[in-house]
Amino acid sequence: MTAVLDRPAVVPPLRRARARWGWGLGAAAVVVWSLAGAGLFSGPVVNAAGPAQFGRFASAALSPARDGEFLRVLASSVGVTVAYAALGAALAVALGALGAVAVARTTWGRRRAGWTLARGALAVPRGLHEAVWGLLLVNLLGLDPWVGVLAIGIPYGAVTAKVFADLLDEVPRGAYSALLASGAGRVPAALYGLLPPASGGLLSYSFYRLECAVRSAVVLGLIGAGGLGYQLSLSFSSLRWPQVWSCVYALALLCLVAEVAGRAVRRRLASPRSSGGRLRRDRVLSAAVAVTLAGVVWSAWYLALSPATLVSDRTGEQLRYVLSNAWPPDTDGPLLRAVAGAAVDTVQMSVIAIAVATVGAVLLAGVAAHPPRGAPAARRLGGTAVRLALLLLRAVPPPVWALVLLFVLRPGILPGALALGIYTLGVLGRLAAEATEELDPRPRAALTALGAGPVGGWLYGVLPRATGPVLAFALYRWEVAIRDTVLVGLLGAGGLGALLATQVARFDWGAVTTVLAALVVLTAAVDLVSARARAALR
Amino acid sequence: MAVVGPSGAGKSTLLAVANGSLLPTDGAVQVLGISPGQLRGRALRTLRARVGTVHQQLELVDQLRVVHNVNAGRLAGWPAWRAAWSLARPQGLPEVLEALTRVGLADRVFDRTDRLSGGQQQRVAVARLLVQRPELVLADEPASALDPVLADRVLGLLAGLATDRGGALVASLHDPALALRHCTRVVGLVAGEVVLDAPTGRLTVGDLADFYGAPR
Repeated sequence: MTAVLDRPAVVPPLRRARARWGWGLGAAAVVVWSLAGAGLFSGPVVNAAGPAQFGRFASAALSPARDGEFLRVLASSVGVTVAYAALGAALAVALGALGAVAVARTTWGRRRAGWTLARGALAVPRGLHEAVWGLLLVNLLGLDPWVGVLAIGIPYGAVTAKVFADLLDEVPRGAYSALLASGAGRVPAALYGLLPPASGGLLSYSFYRLECAVRSAVVLGLIGAGGLGYQLSLSFSSLRWPQVWSCVYALALLCLVAEVAGRAVRRRLASPRSSGGRLRRDRVLSAAVAVTLAGVVWSAWYLALSPATLVSDRTGEQLRYVLSNAWPPDTDGPLLRAVAGAAVDTVQMSVIAIAVATVGAVLLAGVAAHPPRGAPAARRLGGTAVRLALLLLRAVPPPVWALVLLFVLRPGILPGALALGIYTLGVLGRLAAEATEELDPRPRAALTALGAGPVGGWLYGVLPRATGPVLAFALYRWEVAIRDTVLVGLLGAGGLGALLATQVARFDWGAVTTVLAALVVLTAAVDLVSARARAALR
Repeated sequence: MAVVGPSGAGKSTLLAVANGSLLPTDGAVQVLGISPGQLRGRALRTLRARVGTVHQQLELVDQLRVVHNVNAGRLAGWPAWRAAWSLARPQGLPEVLEALTRVGLADRVFDRTDRLSGGQQQRVAVARLLVQRPELVLADEPASALDPVLADRVLGLLAGLATDRGGALVASLHDPALALRHCTRVVGLVAGEVVLDAPTGRLTVGDLADFYGAPR
């Protein structure tokens, strides 16, 4: 037996994990390429006159507009935004429930071709950002409240259909098969065997969509669909800084309330109270559902939504005109070159945004994580401050950050990229902090016990274990960021979004089709690369 | 010295107090003649470097290669830049290989730690201690995942390590035979109280078996 221990050591060579190094070096190269593309290494990027202007803008932060008339305008804008969000989310859940039946594996069984086609059909509505839908619908319907509702409802509906179908497909088959075997029809069997186990997840996801819809409704305002975002862009273009700040505070508060309330409801759904043997519903959940339903009805009344607009002659005529001009897509050389250049800009913006957000999130994760019991007061205070700051970063939509950054940076793709990076940092910072909190504290404690300092303990005890989950989150957020890049682009930050806005303004519908196709292909490509990279991380 | 006693008697707590991870809520503790509660920063880290611990739940970092987990024993002495650089280019490889050879794992030096079996990981934890070279060695069930021959070997290494530096080994053990073979003194704990403190010469395996409630 001791022979096993005393065997002369054959030391194997140190072998690097090739796939990971390949991805890592590739990612580093892409980041440098993107920074070069943003002009960081070629000439000034800072606007020389910016700081003085920014000072005037920032000094208004402490004196937001509070006069009665503006506050009334603000309140009605908030109403419009909330109504868009509620109706858009309701439409999305309805479309999602219908769509889920159409794209669930359960429906198609072994007919793979039909399932693949149904799934593929979702890629188009899903690949286009709600702001793009908003822009197209404004041209179709004019300034009608339906624009906001449909622009949220259509893309969200497609995502919801996919998620609902996945939730249903993931339910263990046992109960469902047993019901089918006992002679129940497919619909009753699904009602009794599939729906109950999935219902918690379905409801939870519906609330999550409502939460996201609030953010989207604000953003839709910025492209002219009315509501809080619209008011903000009006005040901004007329340089009324105190009014801008009132709008920013109102929208940050709205997004904060949506996130906090949404998370509270979802946490409740994830860990239901025991019913104590009696048939009793969770009061908080019942109230949340009732308030939401009442909110949807109120929204339809508040927006004076009328189905007549959708079926009016004018709408039909406009739709026919747009569609007949949109096909075939425009494929002449200069346009294709412009699309390719804009696509490169879009990729570079999203890469810079994710790089900035990931570095920031890794640096802040340690402080943002909830400290263990008995931590010093300074540490707890610092943690609360950082968490609050992250909450604010993600409560303000990226286009608003872009407007602020344009004070100090020259126009181009850098302000858009950084704006997106700041917003994504808010999201990623929280995810990274949660990933750190979930780590077993003992390996780190063991290093501290043998005398390791804070840096050494972090390098050996936390970094190697947190890298995998944080990078996976970062890649997932990259998929989201490429869609949001289009949004900041629509407002002038460059890339495919800017190109799209130009073509829509010129009513060049053939070119619009080309740009939209490029968008869908690009987002699908990014999803694919991200999925591959995440697989290499595992 | 062996610490014996039934589950929940306070063996692990005693060891945690001794390595400074826990401060006593009441009373005073002296480790190597120093009271850790009064130390801060550099001085505390220096004291901690002189006390080495093998934990019951190993507490290695699964995602690191074996070489880094062993090198972690030197983090007290390394500046931060050297600790960081070592993750890219392993530093002090000869000492790591020597330690791993002594526990029979030199051929696994560049494997990821979570690819190793429980017993192999326990030996990596011992190798970390060999590199740390502490004066006081604390071991919480160091032999629980090892077969009898390896258990003997590992305890011999730990005891040798402590006596080389003129220090001591304090191990909580479940196996009475191991306690008698490698220790000169046995302390029995029940519900946090010392109920036995005797040199091993006067004890038999049967006396110790009583402590675990094992059938005679």
